[in-house]
Order: sequence, then structure tokens, then C-alpha cells
Amino acid sequence: MAPQLTLQAPLGLPPSEVAPYLSQLWSQGLQGSTGASTFTLVVWEPAWLEQHLIRTGRGDGPITGLVSGERLEAARLAVSECGLPFSTAPMAPDLAWALGQLGGDHQAQDLRGQFVSGAISALMPRRLITLAATLAADHPLETMVAAYCPLPEEGGTGGACGDVVVLRGGMGALRQGLGLISPLVGDEMPCWVWWNGSLDEAPEMLDALAPIPRRLMVDSSLGTPRRCLDLLVERIGAGQAVNDLNWLRLRSWRESLAMVFDPPSRRDALNHVVQLDIDVEGNHPVKGLLLAAWIADRLGWHLENSFVVPTGESSGDGFGAEFRRSDGETVHFRLMPVPVGVPKAHPGALVGLRLICSPGEQPPLCVILCSESGGCMRLESGGMASMELVEEVVALPNESEEMEVARLLGGGHDTTNPLMAAAVPLAAKLLAQ
Amino acid sequence: MNAILTNPLRVGLRQERVISPQCIVIFGASGDLTHRKLIPALFELFRQRRLPSEFAVLGCARRPWSDEEFRSRMAEAMAEEVRNHQAAWDQFASCLFYEPVDLEQPEHVVRLGQRLEGIDRLKATRGNRTFYMSVSPAFYGSGCRSLAAAGLLADPSRSRVVIEKPFGRDYGSAQQLNKVVGACAQESQIFRIDHYLGKETVQNILVLRFANAIFEPIWNRNYIASVQITAAETVGVEERAGYYETSGALRDMVQNHLTQMLALTTMEAPGRFDPEAIRNEKAKVLQAARLADEQEPWNCCVRGQYSSGGSQARPMSGYRQEPGVNTNSTTETYVAMKLFINNWRWQGVPFYLRTGKRLPKRMSEVVLTFREAPVHLFDAAGGSPTANQLILRIQPDEGAGFMFEVKAPGSGMRSRPVDMHFSYDESFGEPSDEGYVRLLADAMLGDPTLFTRSDEVEAAWRLYTPLLELIEDSPWQLPIHPYESGTWGPGASDSLLANDGLMWRRP
Repeated sequence: MAPQLTLQAPLGLPPSEVAPYLSQLWSQGLQGSTGASTFTLVVWEPAWLEQHLIRTGRGDGPITGLVSGERLEAARLAVSECGLPFSTAPMAPDLAWALGQLGGDHQAQDLRGQFVSGAISALMPRRLITLAATLAADHPLETMVAAYCPLPEEGGTGGACGDVVVLRGGMGALRQGLGLISPLVGDEMPCWVWWNGSLDEAPEMLDALAPIPRRLMVDSSLGTPRRCLDLLVERIGAGQAVNDLNWLRLRSWRESLAMVFDPPSRRDALNHVVQLDIDVEGNHPVKGLLLAAWIADRLGWHLENSFVVPTGESSGDGFGAEFRRSDGETVHFRLMPVPVGVPKAHPGALVGLRLICSPGEQPPLCVILCSESGGCMRLESGGMASMELVEEVVALPNESEEMEVARLLGGGHDTTNPLMAAAVPLAAKLLAQ
Repeated sequence: MNAILTNPLRVGLRQERVISPQCIVIFGASGDLTHRKLIPALFELFRQRRLPSEFAVLGCARRPWSDEEFRSRMAEAMAEEVRNHQAAWDQFASCLFYEPVDLEQPEHVVRLGQRLEGIDRLKATRGNRTFYMSVSPAFYGSGCRSLAAAGLLADPSRSRVVIEKPFGRDYGSAQQLNKVVGACAQESQIFRIDHYLGKETVQNILVLRFANAIFEPIWNRNYIASVQITAAETVGVEERAGYYETSGALRDMVQNHLTQMLALTTMEAPGRFDPEAIRNEKAKVLQAARLADEQEPWNCCVRGQYSSGGSQARPMSGYRQEPGVNTNSTTETYVAMKLFINNWRWQGVPFYLRTGKRLPKRMSEVVLTFREAPVHLFDAAGGSPTANQLILRIQPDEGAGFMFEVKAPGSGMRSRPVDMHFSYDESFGEPSDEGYVRLLADAMLGDPTLFTRSDEVEAAWRLYTPLLELIEDSPWQLPIHPYESGTWGPGASDSLLANDGLMWRRP
């Protein structure tokens, strides 16, 4: 679904006039429209990578906040130019930071907030509020509003409309503009906050934008692993509905693993797991730890201890743990970073998983799942000749962030997915200090 | 350690498609179907977290119930389920509402619209509505007209109507109803439900055919000699005598369920997995289907009616002795027929359909019998080699089987048939969702793939028109053959196949 611009040119208004203007708009033109009872979406949209790629001449404008294939390709090329390890994912905040150190002054039109993904606009949000941080820290606050109607081909029928509010400026200016948000959000309909950036940055901004009961969407692949997991633990513990795009990207891995144990004849092997190995790209373990924690939680394992596994490689250290099964036996867990030449878009993508089950009287079972692009040679090595081997290639869905977000918005819940809520605290414990 | 009965890794992995915030409005909410099927199916979806938080059910019927009364009646009807999941039910019940509505009264429908706007505000359901017509078929047309007149179907992207079977009682009435409903809403808004299409195994016919390269090349008149489609029930008419007396097996089972199985088995491959592409192919193949003898339909159809039977310990009464049934009833409880499909793929291949009540076994299956090997090189243990058969078991013991000849052990070279077996239970180990769970979810998703389109319904009725007219005009030409309860139907039904040198498969 192609993204669409707002039909109406955004109107620049002084911040103090935004709320009165919008209430006038709704009382006159849009009242009674079905768009009036949907949801509000607040998006933190710094788009640092995109802004730096354009500033340094690695792409043309406009700045939209949407990650296109072209931008990803430019980012991949920039990884080596910035002297970063080949395993650095194009979306890694490290890359945006490294690009920030390079010179360049290319300018482009900034259409963040006005360039709405078709998948999201088809859901007819009542209000889309975008906070578009600029590279220039001293950029003053600009506020823009526009009425918005999805085009018929996006699912719109002409009757459902919403509005778009953009707050653009340097970090300082955006902080000043935070006071505008709450009156615009209101409390009569669900509000989602999509933190579309690194979880390391602007924590006070995140706190201000996403208080309970607003529903939070984050991506735990962006930010330092400790910060990402701690934030998830804290927010879920506080009862907030939290959605993690990194967790959603585990779907095909979870499905593939579940599929292996669908035949009842294999189920008993799940009682006899002795070893779990997970390989991830680069040095961002959160996704792998979430997968391990989900498995441990579903199989009722108790965490005994966790530790760092030094590798001496530039790709970072691994993580290990020992779990106790319900029958008292030990399960050994290792998560290892693997250098890859062409990493996937997000840091810490999974390369492979190996689960070894050793039922007493039956031959051991070894399950290996690996990603399409990555080999599983490390996991395939050693000692499997005597085992029943189940080997699958996990198909990786090729959906954009916006599609994932639209899925959440389209049928969201006001609570955190219970499986994720159970896995997150365990993943945080697996991330040994 | 105990064996694991369910797959713990499977939990929560059924959320691949997301239902948008919405309100489902059930007309006929005081009726049987609501508490037996619809509310349990919605509760199951709720427990699987497949419903959004912004969700509501509005029950509508003439009875002057309150929200609370509706909730407690539903809880009462599902007592065991509620007891097992009390906390979930408490949450779910808060989404249940009730509005007394008579769709014939315009002011009631206006009030319904206002109530729905209130629910939109209360539950943030965004104006998305699925209207479920669980009312007498006589009210389908007028119900749709009332909704349309009140503007409740105006937005095709936000409103849908689900219509239960039967959709018409012959070709003319189906056409008329399609016209009425089509004047109220776009075809994309109309979901004609056939719960057979909600069964995993019926859907699996499509996957088996079109996800595997090995079947399609032989799925035609060059390799398939005949096809049998059976839907057998062990029960009698039970409490449905009032309806069944006006319907009979032909209308109750054949025109919808068996015809859908026929269409899925025989349709061409769609260009893509898209609702319209699939429904186009189904409609096309049904339009090409004909009774084997349209001029003299009595040659290709057998009707039967169960008489008493059973054992001394468990006697079974005959149909005419059932409560509510006319003692001289000529309603068929069994029907078998032979069809042809006049297209390039199926020309000349006979299709035998049968369904009946009080048969020995509850089962549904599609059996494709392949042509014999051109030369018999080997002696067969059974005299002659058994033709290969592919058996698609719809229920129970859902799965598929393939019969083929192998060498019988021993020093000679005799062949004997064996059975290769796939079972859903053995491979997946968990029961699939009840048909209504799947179909309600699909309707709320706006996915019409498993619902019948107007041209399909009309083609299905047109196919059986010669029989319906014969039964109406000169029933003596299509007499009712009595059969003993608990047997496989009247002997005349066996003759239908014996004339072609075949016999029904004994499942």
C-alpha cells in the first residue's frame, strides 16, 4: 500500500492556536464523521538515519520518516564508509551516530507526519500527532495542522476523516512543545504512542508522551539491550499495554519451532530439552533473549544462573544460562553473536536456533532452525549423527514497520500480550550484567 | 514425567490476522443459534485474544431483555464453559449488550442506530459493524431493507451482513432474495454463511490441491474415473421437524454443504489466493454442473426416508413417527444422485453425491477413484487390482488417505491394496476451531473467501431445479424409498452406482 500525502497542505499555526483551531475544525466540518471515534496515534519520529543520509548526500529528499528499500541500501553502503563492523545493521543507532560525525549540508523538504503510510491511514486515525526532531538542535518549534481524508483506494470512503498535527523542531523546542500534546490527545478514545526511534534517547520525552493508559509501541532492537529490556520490564510491570516490534518479528521463529512439536509423537521431547543455542547477528542480543525466554517460560523452566560468555571477537560477547526443568534436570543455554556480511535491517536479527532433547529411552532429537540468509554451520557442527534431526529454514516476513504498526493499531489490545509479558522479565534476567 | 497433551509452544500463535475494532449485532439473539454457536464462538475468539479490546456484541430480538438479562442468559446456556473460564467470561460479558428490536418497525431500527452510536462511543468500536441475521429466512430480505433504510449499511468498508442458510428455497426465490439484498448492500458486504466451509478439512481441499504439484496433473478426466461425496449423519430429525418437513435432505444438505464440497473438489486453480478469484472458479464449475439426466431426473436420483430400526435395547423410531412430522410425510431424509460437470477437465466423470439421516456412521468424505492401470501384470489378492483412491476425510478422523497396490509379502508377485494415512490428530494433535469460530472471525475481518457469493448460490439452486420441480409437480416419479434406521440408505441408491459397475465406498 503506497504512502500518501495529506490532501490538504498543512497549515502552519502558532502553537497556542493549534488546539482552538482543531476544535473549531471538528465542530464545523468533521463532526459526526466516523473518523471521530477511532484512535489517536502519537509518533516520535526523529528519523536520524534518514536525515543524516540526506544531509551527507547519500540520498534525496523529502524526509518522510518511512524506511524505504532505497534508504536501507544507502545505509548499508554507509556502514563500511563509516568504518563500522560489517555486522552493523542499517537501522542500528550506531550508524546514524557515525553518520552524524561526517560533514555535509544537503537540505531536503521535511514531510514527516504528512507522509502517512497507506496501511495506517486506511485505519482512519482520528488524530495523528508527529514529533519530528530536527538535526539542528536550535531549530525553533513549528506546529502544523491539516485535515486528512484517506483516498478511496486506501479504504477511505470520503466520509471518514481525521487530522494531522506535526510538531517540528530541535530537541529543546520539542520539549517546550510537549505541553501541547495532552489536550490534543484527550481521553475519550484510545491513544497509541509509537516510539519510532532508539530507546536510549530522550527518556523524559518518552515518559511525557506515553503515560499509562496510553498504549506504547517500541522497538527493542533499537537502543542498548539493557535499557531496552529494563524499559519493557518497567512499563509492563506498571500495567501499561506495551507492544514491541522486535517481539513481533519473532513470530515466524516461534511458529516454525511450534510446528516441529505439533505432532503429538514429538511432544514428549519437550520434557527432555538439555540444550538451547541461539545465534544472533552482531552484538544486540535482545531478540534472541526474548526467544529463549519465551521457550523457557512455555516449557516451565526455572532460571538458575546467567553469565557472560566472552568471545574475544569484535562482534561482542555471548550470554549463557542454566535453567532447571520441572524434573530437576539442567538445561544449558548459549546465545552467541555471529558476524555476518549482509545483516538484516534491524540489529540482533536471529541467525539460528538449536534445541537438543534427550529423552531417556529414545534417540535424542536435535531441532535446528536457521534463517534464509544465514547458514547454520556452527549449530550443525558436532555430534548430531546419532540424533533424529529436524532442520527447517525459517521464512522471514518482509513487512515494513508501518505494516506491523498498522496490524497493532487495527486490532489492538489494552493489555500487553501475556506471552510477551511473561518473556520480558526473564529475558532481562538472562542479560547478565 | 507425564506426556504433554497440548503443544505449549503453539499457544498464542493464531493471531496472524487482526480483527478491527467493531460491534457485532446479532438479530435473533434470543434464539438457539446465538447461545449454542455464536456466543460460544465469539467467547472462544476472545479467549484466544483474537478480538480487539474495542469490541462489543449487541444482541437484538423482540424480547424485552436488558443487557444484564442477556448476559446472564448467555452465561447460563454456556454454564460449563463459563465455569472453566470465569475471569475471561467476566471480561467478555462486559462487551455484551442487548437492545429489543423488531426489524419490521422503522422506529426500532432508528433506535438501534442510536444505540450503536452509543456503543461506538463507549467501546471505541469505530463505526465498524457486522450484522448477523440469525432470524427466520422469511425476514432476511425485510431485515436488510430496514438496515439499509436506516443508513446502517451505507458504508461498505464498515458494515457487513452475515446471512444464515437457507438462502432461498429454490432458484427463483434465491434470485429474488439476491435482488433484495443486493439493493440494500454491495456484494462485498454480504456474507452468506455455510458452516461446512468453516471446517479445516473442507478448506484443506484447496490447500491439498493447489499447494502440491503432484495432484493437479492427475486431477482430471484422464486419470479420475469417478468421485463420491458423502455426508452421513447418525441422528434423526430431532427437534427440527418443523423446518425439516419444509426442506428435506436436498435443500438442507445437498444444495449447500455437498455442493460446496463438490465445487472445491472440482474448481479450476484460481490465479491467486483472493476471495473473488476463488469464488469465480467455484461459480464457474457449478455453472457447468448438470444432473446426469436432466430430462428424466428420476434416472439419476434416489430419495429415501428412514423407517424404524435399531435394536431392542436401543430402538429407533421412523421419520413419520417423529414428533412434529406428518404421518404421511414424503419429505426425504436421504438423497443420492449422479451429476456430470460439462467442462474440459471433468467431461464424462460421474459424481455421486449422497447424504442421509440415521445412517450407521457420522462421517463426511470426498473419494476420488482413479482409473485402473491399463495392463494388469500381476495377480491381485482380491481377484483384480483395486483402483487407487484418494479419500479426503472431512469428519470425523479428519485427514486424508490414499489407497494403492503393493506387492503382497511372499514368494509370488501378487498385489494387494494398502492405505497410506494422514491424520490431523496425529500431525497436529489439537482440535481445530469450530466452524463458526473461523467464519465469524472471517466475517469480522471482511474476508469473504469462505462465504458463498450470489452467483454461486444461484448456480447451486439451478443445478437441482429439475429435481425440485419434479418433487413439486410429480413426486410419484421420484418416490420415497424407506430404509431401516442405522443402515446405509435404500437399496435403490446402491443400484444407482451398480448400473455403472461401481459401489459406494463403505467407510
